[in-house]
Amino acid sequence: MSGKRLPPTETAAGWLFCLPWIIGFLALFVWPFFASAWWSFCQYDMVNPPRWVGGSNYGRLASDLVTQQGFGQALTNTLYYSLLSVPLSVILGVLLAVLLSAPLRGQAIYRTLVFLPSVIPVVAASILWLWLLNPESGMVNYLLSWVGVPPQNWLNQARPAISMETMEMIRQGGMVSSFKLFGSKDALVLMSLWGVGNFVVIYLAAISDIPRSLYEAAEMDGASPGRKLLHVTLPMLSPIIFFNLVMGLIRSVQTFTSIYILSEGTGAPAGSLKLISLELFLSAFSDLEMGYASAMALLLFIGLALATLLLFRTSRYWVHYRMVA
Amino acid sequence: MNGLRILTSWLALTCLVALTVAGWQSRITNRPSQTRQEVLFWHFWGGRDRAVVDDVVHRFNESQDQFHVRAIAMPGNNLQAKLFLSVTGGDPPDLVNQDDPVLADWAKRGVIQPIASVATRGQINRLDDWMFESARRLSKVGSDYYGVCNGLDIRALYYNKTLLDQHGLEPPGTLEQLDRIADRITPDAAAASGGHYAYLPDSRRLWAWGYVFGGRFYDPQTGQVEVDSGPIQEATRWMASYSQRYGADNVAAFRQGDQSLPGKTFPLLPTESDSLVGRYGLIMDGQWRTRDLLDFQNERRQLSLPSPEFGVCPLPPPPGGRSRAGWVNGNFFVVPTGAKCPEGAWEFIQFWIGLEHPEAAAQTCAAGGWIPVSQQVVETTEFQAYLVQNPLFGQFVNLAGSPNQFPVPSVPGAAMFKRTVESAAYQAMSYPDRPVGPILRQANQRIQQQLQRAGAE
Repeated sequence: MSGKRLPPTETAAGWLFCLPWIIGFLALFVWPFFASAWWSFCQYDMVNPPRWVGGSNYGRLASDLVTQQGFGQALTNTLYYSLLSVPLSVILGVLLAVLLSAPLRGQAIYRTLVFLPSVIPVVAASILWLWLLNPESGMVNYLLSWVGVPPQNWLNQARPAISMETMEMIRQGGMVSSFKLFGSKDALVLMSLWGVGNFVVIYLAAISDIPRSLYEAAEMDGASPGRKLLHVTLPMLSPIIFFNLVMGLIRSVQTFTSIYILSEGTGAPAGSLKLISLELFLSAFSDLEMGYASAMALLLFIGLALATLLLFRTSRYWVHYRMVA
Repeated sequence: MNGLRILTSWLALTCLVALTVAGWQSRITNRPSQTRQEVLFWHFWGGRDRAVVDDVVHRFNESQDQFHVRAIAMPGNNLQAKLFLSVTGGDPPDLVNQDDPVLADWAKRGVIQPIASVATRGQINRLDDWMFESARRLSKVGSDYYGVCNGLDIRALYYNKTLLDQHGLEPPGTLEQLDRIADRITPDAAAASGGHYAYLPDSRRLWAWGYVFGGRFYDPQTGQVEVDSGPIQEATRWMASYSQRYGADNVAAFRQGDQSLPGKTFPLLPTESDSLVGRYGLIMDGQWRTRDLLDFQNERRQLSLPSPEFGVCPLPPPPGGRSRAGWVNGNFFVVPTGAKCPEGAWEFIQFWIGLEHPEAAAQTCAAGGWIPVSQQVVETTEFQAYLVQNPLFGQFVNLAGSPNQFPVPSVPGAAMFKRTVESAAYQAMSYPDRPVGPILRQANQRIQQQLQRAGAE
């Protein structure tokens, strides 16, 4: 085939078939991307023509980072959310998949139950979680009370569980009976774990694809179930874990609908639910600072690209691709 | 095979008939007269308010031989982006109704026309004399009208009279009395274990209390933000004192509990059939809650259950504060730049607010439970009859005429201004042990920077 040219009519037909996609790609992705990059150096309010302001939008982002206001606060919130929700969803997803792959009675029912939350629309799920996380009558606090955890304030508390402030409070007063550990960002992490079913389905497919012979060989070597999980299942799942890690990271940074509903579009309480996506939206469409929002979007893109690159670079140390003979 | 063909034919025929009927229906309801100019009107009303709006439009269209209003409900939070795109695209509506603090932003960007471009000098002067001051504040940017307010949202203090009577207390006339009521009914968090507090300030309402304490958030003369000024600090400190008294975490938890009430029930109303007390003994809210109270009392009457009595009073001021003061917001009309029929838009605005025919506006306000923007409309027979049926509503109407009702300052960047003040108040109430000054100073600085940026654009 190599070097053999297709007849011009077939080449033209090929381009013609690709054309709708190419037009869409150029108009809906390439052009907006470069336009947004250009606007990030401008003051632009969507009505009047963009006005060149050099790097002042980026200067403002840097100053926000230092003061931990606006973009700085949003970045910290996003990092907190992503660094907790992504690894936890991977760990929980793998654990659930391993459990659900065991030959149990009613396996299909359990699998359906785990997957079910993923098909519930985000808006409905967010409203449902508002009820579940109600400090007075919510089911989450009720379940926590079974293990002796005092009622938490969840969405009405800006202070997250992992923070210097919380550490200081624990150091000073210890875990007293009324201690409020979890805040709004922790609630968001909890919500994200609820939709882990999407990942579980992929893990389940991958687990069923692991050759039985590997487990048999491990058993012949006297491997315990734990060792089989550690040395057979996890390495064989690592390409899928890697995929889910990258996708989960991107998805976590793009989280918008749920925080918009939970905080009534403001990022309340005290900006603790203001993730970058919401800050970007408010800057662009509420404060009419499209240039500043574009700068934020570009930084977000670069940050995500770097994080993904880092994951790809480290993947060679922990991702094992199966060699097909 | 035959059966399938028949079924397909029937389905096709049904679809055709449905489409024809729908198209015909739509032509009938939106049919503009051949001789009349169309006025395209975007609004955001839904639910039972939509019917009221449709009725106003219908009455206007009936009264006209020159213009025909076509109303389009544009629900959602992206009205601003849609409007901007329509203006830049050269096909804007002729009239828009909005209730967010965006007037100055839109005016500054040239998205809307000054009202002086559609109304005569005489009509503008008339608005100055005719409208409540609070409505004028919502309609103006600087000294120019860029919008025309058509309905006011006023806040006051609702109270459970039965509960106050039980404790031998009178409705509060001063802040000190309000504190005393809170102290008597709910001296500490333990006293709220029954599921109700006498009163809890809401961090979003620093806007109201700030004005009641005699403060102002912005000085229009100097362009300086005054969020950290003495009275606002005092108001914030007072609000935070409740968090200190009951514990910030308890207050936060209780506040979130309000959201679990079905259908956003008014938390003043008892939820148990044998109870006469709701989650609060007193609560700040707007005039639309008077409907909830009436519905509740009617329902209890029908079920032969005892119902508590309710009352409304102005926000009680501290010594040196403002009486009959508070934070006001409301709906306003704007005429976008490039509107094809601005004259028609202005005609409809006048009809709605009742500038020429106050009776027509009274009918609208009574149907929607909206506060008129002029005393002349309030004094019409129709509206007075409405007030007889709903006496608590009258308290709000009285407050609408007070010169001490202020909106979020009408400046570019007002949306961020509002958000940042609320966030600062939340912080102060969440950490009542921290000094209020630095929290408000930081907010002040951020808002000032934002206003400078917005103004410099």
